[in-house]
Parts: sequence; structure tokens; C-alpha cells
Amino acid sequence: MGHPNVGKSVFFNRLTGANVTESNYPGTTVDYTKGWMKIEGEDVELVDVPGTFSLDPKDKAEDVAVAMLHETRDVKVISVIDASKIERGLYLALEIIEEGYPVVIALNMWDVAWDKNIRIDARKLEQILGVPVVPTTAISGEGIKELVSRLKDIQPVEVDDIIANAGGLT
Amino acid sequence: MNYDETGTVTDIDGDLRKRVAGMGIRVGKRLRMITKQPIKGPVVVIVDEAETSLGLELAERITVGVD
Amino acid sequence: MTLSLEERWTLIDKISRETVTFGKYEHTLKDAIGELTVKPLTGIPVAIAIMYGFWSAFGSFAGTLMTDGFFVKLFDGYWLPWLQGAFPGQGSWLYSIMVDAGGLGGSEFVLSDTCFEAFGVLTSGIFVAIGVVLPAISIFYLMLALLEDVGYMPRLAVLLDTVLHRVGLHGYAIVPTILSLGCNVPGVAATRILETKKQRFIMMTLLAIFIPCGAQIGIMDKVVPALMGWILLYLIIGYFIFGYILNKVVPGKAPEFLIDVPPYRKPLMRNITKKIWGRITGFFKVALPFVMLGCAIVNVLYLLGVIQWLGDVLAPIFVGWFGVPKETAGPLVAAFLRKDLAVAQLSVINMTDYQRITAVVLVTIYFPCVATFAMMLKEGWKELIAAIGVLIIVVFTYGGLIHLIGIILGVAE
Repeated sequence: MGHPNVGKSVFFNRLTGANVTESNYPGTTVDYTKGWMKIEGEDVELVDVPGTFSLDPKDKAEDVAVAMLHETRDVKVISVIDASKIERGLYLALEIIEEGYPVVIALNMWDVAWDKNIRIDARKLEQILGVPVVPTTAISGEGIKELVSRLKDIQPVEVDDIIANAGGLT
Repeated sequence: MNYDETGTVTDIDGDLRKRVAGMGIRVGKRLRMITKQPIKGPVVVIVDEAETSLGLELAERITVGVD
Repeated sequence: MTLSLEERWTLIDKISRETVTFGKYEHTLKDAIGELTVKPLTGIPVAIAIMYGFWSAFGSFAGTLMTDGFFVKLFDGYWLPWLQGAFPGQGSWLYSIMVDAGGLGGSEFVLSDTCFEAFGVLTSGIFVAIGVVLPAISIFYLMLALLEDVGYMPRLAVLLDTVLHRVGLHGYAIVPTILSLGCNVPGVAATRILETKKQRFIMMTLLAIFIPCGAQIGIMDKVVPALMGWILLYLIIGYFIFGYILNKVVPGKAPEFLIDVPPYRKPLMRNITKKIWGRITGFFKVALPFVMLGCAIVNVLYLLGVIQWLGDVLAPIFVGWFGVPKETAGPLVAAFLRKDLAVAQLSVINMTDYQRITAVVLVTIYFPCVATFAMMLKEGWKELIAAIGVLIIVVFTYGGLIHLIGIILGVAE
């Protein structure tokens, strides 16, 4: 899951070999698509959902995404974040983590962030959040392998731990 | 707030707070307005180097302290 | 445990202070172009230029270069004469349906000269689909893919927000509208990006009624190029008039515009070709069978005399109210299956220019094609029925209005 136009469909196509339309505007994907990918020889189902800004859907496409998440409790979530807009991306990622889903974060558009002189310490972010954080550039395929390799060992984390790691809420 | 000005968000009206939260707009955030369309058109603001466009009625419910 | 909005932001602030450093950001050329194309003073001329470029590339590539320069010669010069000779049983039912009806409705059998007149499944059917529609939608989808991948669409939405607000929508409604210009089916699906039921209903109804699809535009540009301007003008005016009325009548809210404007990006060739290929093949899987089926059904109905009968029964409405010849009944039947086919069939009926404008506008605003119909049904049957109600009212009032304007201008009677 992730915001509109962060590259979710690009990931999906890369991971499953499917042909979902990719464009540079928010709202290209308005329905979910299911596909299959292989993780260490095992077939795993992957779902591409429309982008959403939060877990409070504001339109029908976002509704599709949020309903999909809530209907299937035993899923792992790839939270795709536009690395150049990391703060708002973390907002959605935290919402998902708070609801108890196991999450891996893809800091996508790493190249764009780099161009904008935004530097993110992914390792430190991973330490604070307690979930895997992988810098990626989905369009060119960078980081995808690492993302897949880390999918299998993700666990739900407690928000309290994140708060403690970040040094409290004050 | 006017065209090409920079400021800090001081207040967001009621339920709008939640709606714009996902777009990274929140109290204490700095933003710059890059355009204002004529005849009550939408405004475009930059927050954290990301462009967001808001309808004028929404924009009016966000209070910004201009530098 | 879940956090409140404020707590969540506080936490993010903390995390981001620990892990993110914002370097000095230099304004690049890309940003400058981005700002220029979204400011009204520079953005509107740019938008007009882009639309004009879009249109002229469409006309010259699809209409002139491919269709006239290549396919017309191929089909009329070789395919039609060859098939007329090679297909057995001239004058038989099968021959009339598959190859050449030989001047439909007339008493004498005359072999047709062009694939427009022949009306056969294997002649007109294939010619319309491959000779006219294929080049039109290929170039359309190429340009659409470029606009999409560069990231221009949201900027166009910002510029058009003011106008679209008057019809109860907002700027982002331009996305379903433009997608519909290719094919109404993805256009209807894209209405999901609008926030309220009211907006989605208005959008879906307007799309189904007033937006001609790429196939139809392609064929219009081929058979009635001189009248294109008028036809499109009537459609655009109708879009806004009825949008305005719907906005007043339909209950519900029309919320404000709130979208993200992504940075411009260099489009990837691989993605563009993949997208065009996907859309064209998808289109043909639906279009080709329907064009051929539509051709066959209309021919059978002609041969059975149903079209003539329909024309006679509906004559008072067609001639009296809309001011078009009663023969247009046939194409209107075909229009339900494929609008491009209907326009092609209209082109061989003898009528004045103004009648032709009216007839083509009618074909457009009349029932959406079956595929669009099915898609709308998927979005909700109540909305579909309401949309059809609106559509019937629109066809009668707007059709009559166009006739009236013609009478006032002195070009219709």
C-alpha cells in the first residue's frame, strides 16, 4: 500500500510479471489486481491496490484499497513510500503498523530524493521502526531483490516500541 | 496568503485536519504558494518540495502565518 | 494501540529529525517548467498548444497519412474488388451480409465502389476497424501515454478546475474525460477517483452522453472532416449545459479539489510501448467482433425490412423533431453495438450538411455502446437507470434544440 503515484503498480508488474497500467499521475489504478510471485520457490499471492493517503478513504478508489486491507487480516504489507516525501509516507505506514499488520517499507523513488538532496538514513529508520526499510527505485528495478528477500521475516511491531526507540513523544 | 509567499501553517479547520494530513500539510509545517488560479480557482502550494493543489474553499480554512 | 493524529505527527517529526537530512535544494529546469505550466498566465496558452498539437497530430497521422494515404487505397483498390469477385453467390443473402449489399434498399443490385458503401462484414466491417479506427486509436494512445507518463494530467486538472466546478465536478474530472476520448470503458472506471456519489453520477452520465470515443472521433474525422468543428462544439456545449443542470438537480455534495501534483518525469519508452500495446490489443478484442457483429445485424435487419419499418414508424420523430432523414434509423440501431460503425453508415445516407451534423451528434449522445453499458452496470444499476433517464431526456431536448438552432440559422427546415 501507499500514496497515489508512488510506484505501487510498477512494483507489482516487476514482482509478478503482470501488465498493470503505470502512469505519472495519482489515481491510475482504481481497482485491485491480484497476481502471483515466487518467494524462495513458493507461490505467494500479491495484490496491487489503488493509492490512498490514509486509512480514512476519501473516494471510491481509496475505499477499494482500505477495504482490501481490512478484509484480509493475515496479510503482509509492502508499504511503498515516496522517499522524496517521506514524512507523509510514514504517516500512512504508521497507521498500518498501528493496526497490527506486519510491514516492510520500500523507500521508493530513491533516485528522485537523491536528486532533491534529501538524504535518508535507512538503517537508522529501520532501527527505530523495527521493520525492514529498503531503498528502491522500482522503475529501474533497484532494490527489488532485497525487498523480496526481506519479505519473509517481517513481524508486527508495537507502536510503544517505536515511540521508545524514537525517544518518547515529547 | 498571496502568490509566491512563504509561511507556516498556524491552524487547520476541524475535519480538514484529517483530510490534508495524508498530504503532509499540518500545523507547524512551512509552505510556499506557487500559484493562485483566477476566478476562485485552486491554489498550488509546495510542502516539503511536493506540490499539492487545493480548492480555494479548502485553502481558506487553513490559516498560514506569512513570514 | 493507535495514536491520535497529533501524536502520530509528533512521532514522525522525531523520527525524521533522526534520519532525514534535507540538503540545500536547487531549483531545476524541470521545476521551472512545472511552475510555468501550472500558472494561469503561461499555463493556459501551453494547455491550448498541447491540445492543438494533439489534435493536429491525430488528424494528420491517422486521417491523412494512414487512412487516406494507405488503407483507403489498399481496401478500395485491392481488397474490395478482389472480394467482390472471389466471394461466391453475388446477390445472395450471405453475399449481401458478408461482402456487398449492393446499394442497400434499392431495387437494383449495384456493386459498390468503396468500402464505406459496401456495408459487408468483411468489407466495411474490417475496413472501419483496421483502416480507420486502428490508426486513430494508435496515435491517440501514443499521445495519451506521453501526457500521462510525463505527468501533465494533474496540471491540466488544476487549470481546468474553475470551469469544471460550474458543472459540479472539479479539475480532476479531466482524467476520466480524457480517458473516455480513447474509450468510454476505462473512463467510467476512472470516475472512482471522484469523491462523492453525486460527482461520480454526473461524470458518468456526461461521459456516456457527450464524450465520443477515439474510434468514433477517428471515423468522424474521416467521413465528415469539414463538419468536425461543429459536431465537437455541440458536444462540448452540451457537456456544460447538462452538467450545469445536473449539478443543480442531483442531490449531494461536490467537494473541493485536493490533489497532488507530481514532478515531471522523463517517460520510459518501455512503459509507453507496453501501455499502447496493451490498450490496442484490449481494444481490438472488444472492437473487432462488435464491429463485425454490428455490421451483420444491421444488414440482416435491412434485408428483413426491419430498418425500413423502424424508419417509417419513427419517421415523425426523426424528420419532424430532429430534422434528419428517416434512413438514419439503421445507423442508430448499429450505434448501440459500435458508434464508429454507425458514423460510417451515416456517411453514405444522402442528406444536407446540417442534417449530418445533427445525425452524428445524435449517434454520439444516444445510448452508449454495449461495453460502456456493461461497465456502468458494474458501478451500480440504480445509477445506470438514472443515467439512462437523463440520456433520454437529453437526446430529445438537445436533439430538438439543435434542429431549432438550424431552423433559426436558416440551414434546416
